[in-house]
Amino acid sequence: MDTVFIGEQLLPGKLGQFFVVLSFGTALLATLAYYFDSIKDQNDGSWRKIARFAFALNFLAVIGIGSSLFYIIYNHLFEYHYAWAHSSRSLPVYYIISSFWEGQEGSFWLWTFWQSILGLVLLFRAKSWESPVMTVVMLSQVFLASMLLGVEILGIRVGSSPFILLREAMDAPVFSRPDYLSLIADGNGLNPLLQNYWMVIHPPTLFMGFAAMIIPFAFAIAGLWQKRYEDWIKVALPWSLFAVMVLGAGIIMGSFWAYEALNFGGFWAWDPVENASLIPWLTLIAAVHVMLAYKNSGQAYFTSVFLALISFVLVLYASFLTRSGILGEASVHSFTDLGMFWQLYLYIAAFKLIAIGLIWARWKSLPFSKKEEETYSREFWLFIGAVILVLACLQILATTSIPVFNRIFGTEIAPPTEVVAHYNKWQINFAIITAIISGFTQYLKYKKSEPTQFYRQVLRALLISAIATVLTGYVCGIYTNVGYMLLTFAALFSVIANMHILYEAIKGKWKLAGSALAHVGFGLLLIGAMVAAATNKVISINTSGIGFGDAFAKDNNPRENIILYENEPVTMDQYTVTYLGDSTSGPNTYYRVNYKVIDQKTGQTTEEFDLYPNAQQNAKMRQIIASPDTRHYLWKDIYTHVSSVPLKEEKEHEAHEGHTDEEDYGKPVVYQVKPGDSIRVRDAIIRVKSVNRQAKIQNIPLSKGDLSVALNLEVLAGKKTYQVEPAFLIKGNNSYDFGKTIDELGMKLRFTNILPKEDKLELSIYQKPKAEKNWIVMKAIMFPYINLFWAGAIIMTIGFLLSIFRRNKELKIN
Amino acid sequence: MKKSSIIGLIIIAVSIGVIISVYADSSTYGDFNDAKASETECYVSGNLDLQKSMVYNPQVDANYFSFYMKDKGGKVCKVVFFGTKPQDFEKSENIVLTGKMVGDEFHASKMLMKCPSKYNKDQVEVKATSAT
Repeated sequence: MDTVFIGEQLLPGKLGQFFVVLSFGTALLATLAYYFDSIKDQNDGSWRKIARFAFALNFLAVIGIGSSLFYIIYNHLFEYHYAWAHSSRSLPVYYIISSFWEGQEGSFWLWTFWQSILGLVLLFRAKSWESPVMTVVMLSQVFLASMLLGVEILGIRVGSSPFILLREAMDAPVFSRPDYLSLIADGNGLNPLLQNYWMVIHPPTLFMGFAAMIIPFAFAIAGLWQKRYEDWIKVALPWSLFAVMVLGAGIIMGSFWAYEALNFGGFWAWDPVENASLIPWLTLIAAVHVMLAYKNSGQAYFTSVFLALISFVLVLYASFLTRSGILGEASVHSFTDLGMFWQLYLYIAAFKLIAIGLIWARWKSLPFSKKEEETYSREFWLFIGAVILVLACLQILATTSIPVFNRIFGTEIAPPTEVVAHYNKWQINFAIITAIISGFTQYLKYKKSEPTQFYRQVLRALLISAIATVLTGYVCGIYTNVGYMLLTFAALFSVIANMHILYEAIKGKWKLAGSALAHVGFGLLLIGAMVAAATNKVISINTSGIGFGDAFAKDNNPRENIILYENEPVTMDQYTVTYLGDSTSGPNTYYRVNYKVIDQKTGQTTEEFDLYPNAQQNAKMRQIIASPDTRHYLWKDIYTHVSSVPLKEEKEHEAHEGHTDEEDYGKPVVYQVKPGDSIRVRDAIIRVKSVNRQAKIQNIPLSKGDLSVALNLEVLAGKKTYQVEPAFLIKGNNSYDFGKTIDELGMKLRFTNILPKEDKLELSIYQKPKAEKNWIVMKAIMFPYINLFWAGAIIMTIGFLLSIFRRNKELKIN
Repeated sequence: MKKSSIIGLIIIAVSIGVIISVYADSSTYGDFNDAKASETECYVSGNLDLQKSMVYNPQVDANYFSFYMKDKGGKVCKVVFFGTKPQDFEKSENIVLTGKMVGDEFHASKMLMKCPSKYNKDQVEVKATSAT
């Protein structure tokens, strides 16, 4: 079957596939060469030369894969499955970048890419550590490269190549045509939720963090392997801080993306995918602390090794969870399963076995400390802090791994139904203890401290925090909850103690600034997260609709969504909210929602802003994908998203035959009126002013005996007044009426009869049903003090950065 | 007792607590009969019954959505969700509900839908062209 297909560009794919195979081969060669150099197979450095050459080739191959794939996506070569599945012609360039890593293959590439870059840095900086450390890094590179191979070895498909052709990936009759490509109009496009600026930089940052996690692991392995048990910690410290900083920034960016682009109304949901990246971050933070303890006191050696090793294994476990398809129904946003379950499993198993094997082999010669730590010593509490963090991880890990337990034991346990409450009730305690320890440990010295001085300083900080807690509790309105108050107290204590250190740092001890700043940031982050999560308030509470009594509403129906009709203001909390219409830009429909604060006494508008929550309407799929819009204040956010809107296609129904005007309106309400009457209808008042007995009707000449009467009506709706004159005509033996419509109100008024007996006139009022008016159903949430969370995260990241500089400087001095 | 032993004991105690908590808070996947029997929050999965009516009337109540679902055992039950109706709801192939039975109605607090997503469908959309 040699069909010649028209229009296919096969070169970029072939080139890309060549680079994939090259990257695998060179990674393998580099691993072996570095291995032989590490065990001093030859002493002339020839293995190292080969290894470096292989590494350089590997680096180029990785760049080559990325360039080929980018060329394919950028030029919309839909003959390739990856381009077809993840991009479309209408995507702007910056989203083409995000579509690059929407799929598993692209994100694996991102990981290899960062690992290559970091490898390059190690090549120049690691000096005597280069060979053993790079052996481990390149072994990981071998595994990652294998994920992209997409070739069959002994009947087993290894990896998934991004360069597979559409016609190879799928089976459809269209592919039997040589000109099939001309029939494929466009790609599937990027998931609209990922079309957000944060999605351009969040994945690269996160994967840089994942890639950096291998370096502490590799140093720990190298230390055990080369029996340089103690040296590695000093060298690995700045790298560990780097990994912690980048991964932390990546996680926070993801959280910010969720807050800005998803409509679950929050910044953290304890989703398995979120947890999976949080766990290794926490264990590596614990590792950093015990590494410091060891460096300064010789204690906690094994804990340092263990945590540095387990952190990377947990990174691999995280990618296993999100990529193997094992989460199944437990998570909404894991990757689609590419059938790489065992390959991913092998990756974890290999690194786990290397770690366990080496510890086993070296156990007897490890430098365990013989004596116990002093209670009044910094190293002891650094160790305890690390233990608490590990326990916190254990709890997250246990619940997140429920699908894994199900798979192992064949059980069918479901995750907790109240998942957030389940995690929170544990994590709040861990957070309280961690914060307290991170506060008072600042006043302890390594080896041994003087208790009296320690207590004096701690007591002072405790006193200040107690006062600050009372104030915060009152201002934020959380004083009724003991747990919240304790966490606030603990976090404020940490902030205040570390501010004290920061003050010392500014006075001259500059090297203390990094850790103090990181801890201040952490404390603020805790307070911000807790206050925003605990006191956020849905302000769009629906007060209309069927009532079931307050108790029922509270238990069962939170009524968190409210319907807004166009131009009809509704009061929500302190805001007067009006939906002012929509506009379309590209695939998005923006709903303009106006918020006003009106002073009760003066009636003046003191504040006004518009929010534009949007929804991607996909008429074909009959779905909307809504993204919120948020008004940011310094101390609170007003977050708004639409939860239901009329579908566009439904609104435009064409006029067809037999379709009368009346069909648009509901059943008329008939009133018998006389001048001076007023009638209250849905959103207007109609006043009957007078009767005009000399009404003239256009184009109809009146003859003798004909009667033409008009009703002079005044319609008041809001601040507007409309004057209309529906008329009634008797011509010959027939009667006619000439109704008037007020389009803006969706109202039609007909003068339908004269009732001489009652001395009344008959007025029929037609109103369009409300649905015909434009509406949106929306939800608005107020998040108080959420900026503390973001600010804390930024301060913490800066703190990490300063610490990296400090620890790096220490390396040079020694 | 040495400090390390105390720490060890605390670690073991918390670990046991974690395991018990996972077990205690974990839920079950079941059907409507299980939900009725247990009277607690649980997961029920099934398919949308398109034969029966689906009610979402934002003009009347923007937070009331009801439909009928057929569980894995084939039992059809009315489901009430106090929120808005997801727009592509009719297309969902499989629904996982979190909630509990209240009388003969299942009150859902959360819904997770598996849709034949645009993003992993295995169909190629072909441009409409005249036959060549």
